[in-house]
Amino acid sequence: MESLRRNYDPRARTPGAEPEMLMDEPRDRLLLDSRLSELSNVIPWAEALSDRYGLAEETRYAMNLCLEEALANVVLHGYKNQPGYPIVIESYLSTGSLFFAVEDKAPPFVPVDPGERTPRPLVLDAMEPGGNGIRLIHRFAGSVSYERLPDGNRLTMGFPISVAKKVSA
Amino acid sequence: MTISTESMDGEVTRVILDGRLDIQGSAAIDLKMNVLAGNSKFMLLDLTNVSFLGSMGLRSIVLPAQTVKRRGGKMALLNPSPMVEEVLKASNIDEIIPIYHDLDAAVAALR
Repeated sequence: MESLRRNYDPRARTPGAEPEMLMDEPRDRLLLDSRLSELSNVIPWAEALSDRYGLAEETRYAMNLCLEEALANVVLHGYKNQPGYPIVIESYLSTGSLFFAVEDKAPPFVPVDPGERTPRPLVLDAMEPGGNGIRLIHRFAGSVSYERLPDGNRLTMGFPISVAKKVSA
Repeated sequence: MTISTESMDGEVTRVILDGRLDIQGSAAIDLKMNVLAGNSKFMLLDLTNVSFLGSMGLRSIVLPAQTVKRRGGKMALLNPSPMVEEVLKASNIDEIIPIYHDLDAAVAALR
């Protein structure tokens, strides 16, 4: 069977998209506490944005996946699973992509793609059950950037969209 | 996320998942999956109705697969959606737990 890796290209634009037609728009913000249960607030927020911009199913999936992985990473690794710390997700449209900037106040953490450093063990017994989150973000987001803030971290993930499918402002 | 099982010929336990295998979904099934893995020789994990798979869901697959293997058994995955399969492939899970899109072929490979 042909590899499905070739089927979804997170950096590809929807056919017919004209990125220069997409104007920057006001930003949406979601303030979360450092608990995994906050995912239940992220999903409907992301779905509403997906509906607003008429995102394709593949892009919706990629967006949901990357937001879940980013949230889990901040909560479990940044804040060591301790509640009471802030996470802010800001969404904005720019240059033909929908971006999500995830900010926290946790110690520095640079999300380098593990795929660029070490190959995965291909033996079941040797496989660590975790450690896939950052890898999936790099695989499914169209773009990934990291900034160290004076008192935290900002991870920005972009997902190309088509202005032709936008259904409402 | 719901989980149900079906005992098949040849000591195959078909485990049918339904819903989102995300943070909350994996927490909902982990205990049952571990119990099933401790009591199954051949486990066929039916992903037909799994609409979403994230890294926490991958843990819910890999850990039981390791348990089954330690007991001399095998696990296979059945019929993931294209995007779920892409997550499995991006994590190289498909290279250690085989994926099938045909029930008979999956059962034959397990036995």
